[in-house]
Amino acid sequence: MIASVGPALPHDLFAASGRYAGPLGWSLDRPMPFAARWMETKFAPWAASILEDWAAGAFDAYEAVVFARADDNAQRLYYYLCELRRQGVLAGPEPLVFDSAQGSRTTSLDRTTAMVRKLAARLDIDDSALDGAIVATNAARAKRAELSRSPKTCLVAGTAPPDRGLHDAIEAQGWHAAGPVLADVWADAGPPVDAGTGDPCAAIGRQLWKSPLGNRAVHDGATKLAAAVAATSASAVVLWYSEDEEAGVWHLPAERKMLDDAGIATLVLTRRPWGRDDDGAAAIGEFLRGVTA
Amino acid sequence: MSGAPIENNEHETGRRSHKMLASTAAANAFQKQFGADLKRRVVDDGEPYAIVQADTPHEIFHAMDIPIVTNQWWAAYISAKQLSGRYFDVMTKHGYPENACKYCSLGLACTLAADPATAPWGGLPKPAVLVARMTCDCIQHVFTQWAAALGSEFFPMEAPAWEHKDPGWFARSRTEWRSVYDPDRIALMVAEMRDLIALLENRTGKRFDEAKFQHLMAQINLQEGMIWEAAQAIGTARPCPVSIAEQMPNTMIPQWHRGSDWAVAHARRFRDEVMTRVDAGLGAAANEKIRLMWIGAGVWHDPGFYQALEETLGAVFVWSMYMPFAGPAYIRDLDGRPMEALASRICGMNEVLHLPPWMNGWMVSEAARCGIDAAIMLMPPDNRLSQSGNKITARSLEDAGVPVLVIDADMVDAKTWDHDAMVATVGRFLHEKRLA
Repeated sequence: MIASVGPALPHDLFAASGRYAGPLGWSLDRPMPFAARWMETKFAPWAASILEDWAAGAFDAYEAVVFARADDNAQRLYYYLCELRRQGVLAGPEPLVFDSAQGSRTTSLDRTTAMVRKLAARLDIDDSALDGAIVATNAARAKRAELSRSPKTCLVAGTAPPDRGLHDAIEAQGWHAAGPVLADVWADAGPPVDAGTGDPCAAIGRQLWKSPLGNRAVHDGATKLAAAVAATSASAVVLWYSEDEEAGVWHLPAERKMLDDAGIATLVLTRRPWGRDDDGAAAIGEFLRGVTA
Repeated sequence: MSGAPIENNEHETGRRSHKMLASTAAANAFQKQFGADLKRRVVDDGEPYAIVQADTPHEIFHAMDIPIVTNQWWAAYISAKQLSGRYFDVMTKHGYPENACKYCSLGLACTLAADPATAPWGGLPKPAVLVARMTCDCIQHVFTQWAAALGSEFFPMEAPAWEHKDPGWFARSRTEWRSVYDPDRIALMVAEMRDLIALLENRTGKRFDEAKFQHLMAQINLQEGMIWEAAQAIGTARPCPVSIAEQMPNTMIPQWHRGSDWAVAHARRFRDEVMTRVDAGLGAAANEKIRLMWIGAGVWHDPGFYQALEETLGAVFVWSMYMPFAGPAYIRDLDGRPMEALASRICGMNEVLHLPPWMNGWMVSEAARCGIDAAIMLMPPDNRLSQSGNKITARSLEDAGVPVLVIDADMVDAKTWDHDAMVATVGRFLHEKRLA
């Protein structure tokens, strides 16, 4: 079995392998002495959790784990694991990196397509398996796109939180909570892949190259947020950014302006602990009590 | 990644460093004049120019005679003018969280402040393009917004994953660069540089001259070869003839102008001065007892920090990455393929300094080469890229018998820096390790 870490990965290819176990999980509220010894403070806590579990042998059943170059934490964790394996400090499955390039020029598209072909070869997946997996994964995408809508929706945006604690705080106020947690982002297969092209690796490469997923995508955060607000019909937004966030936080001023201009009630929470955020949940309760949907 | 020594300025928390070499004064004087010339070309004459990250192919711009303002150099310039605190406040007022990465965003902050009366040069005008490699999660966002604020265009370059991991890369990077840096990564960067050249030709009307570029690459090999020769002499000489406070400007300033006649001549002058001091047995400190390694970008707001313990403890910073990097990171056997050789220089420039196994492999080797007694490691609190690889490297050094002190501070944010407290911390560490 194989597993993955990070966003913007070739899920159609994973499906074609027939041995994809999904993204690795994490557990935060515990001591992580091994990770503390090797990993610096600016890493996301989930990275420390995975390193800790890796060293403890929790992932030994996997043959390989694919890390996303599209996320800086994930790609650095990949190098750390490779080095610690080389030094004999830990063992476990083979770390692989999937190198998606998301720049707007065709050089980046060509690179991403080449990397899809390389991973397919490494996992021994042929074109016919990929063709079938694309059709099946597109069907799953269409099903998931049927969003449930509520007249009173609050969108959680910014850093994808580790769990549904913020969503629970929203629902405790009688609102419907929208917006992904991190596990959703990592499991997101992205937009549909062109089926029946005769070159499934190129089709997957194109999809990943254009994908808005991943921190390396050169995107307009405010436009992306506006699309999420429209898709969920949100009338309130919680912009929640964690302490270790390095990418999305640069869009915060533009996001706030967009929401202000649109007249959408907004609560901004920055530098939050990426874990249980009781203060954040309390602030959400107070915020939503003052909002009329 | 790398930073930018510029002419010294007294800072509210820092101390001036003292200089011994005529080369240092010459380099600083050149850079001061260069700053004035660059301002004239870019601001006064309105010549098309580019804003670029330090780890981008400056050689392309030099070969095309297009002026560049390097982001890290500009940040250091702002910092030395004691404006960093003010601009960080500007970012906060614009709604960015205080913990947003500071090193790469000081130039954006200066632009957003929109205060020509106090900004260096009155602020930067609209460039033809901004160029950065996407080595971290934040840089493309900073540069996209900076480009928008300046009404220009951002040209991102990929920083692809590197699967060929060679801890001994530094021993093979000159001759075996194709395999060390991965052929497919080199090919990607060459294709990107061709795109960049086309864009620059279109924006500036200047033409890329292959012959001029080849000559430039050969000149850079000559220049960096002399710096590397001096670095090797510094590693073996006892006492250390030149402190890092003088190594940095004499390496970095010519490196900003790499391949130019002045840069080659300066490298020669510096090497010769180092060799003369080695031959004469002259030391950076009067009584060298402890040889220190500095790991991280330079603390540009307090250059005197590096010499603060020379007199009292005989503790001399003999190593920082800037000078010894000249050899393995820059020198390439061209083999008639200068564009590929340049790509190999650029496509690992950041990674080898911040990721295992390259970072720890090189620094352990360098510590042994230079007879290092202890290392002081900078750990910027808000910058994953600059933190990255530090703990693994610290452990590797300690396993090799080199004790490491990690200090939490930022290379451009003077707010978190207290000269006396930092010097005292290093002093205590050296006593605890029974080195002092």
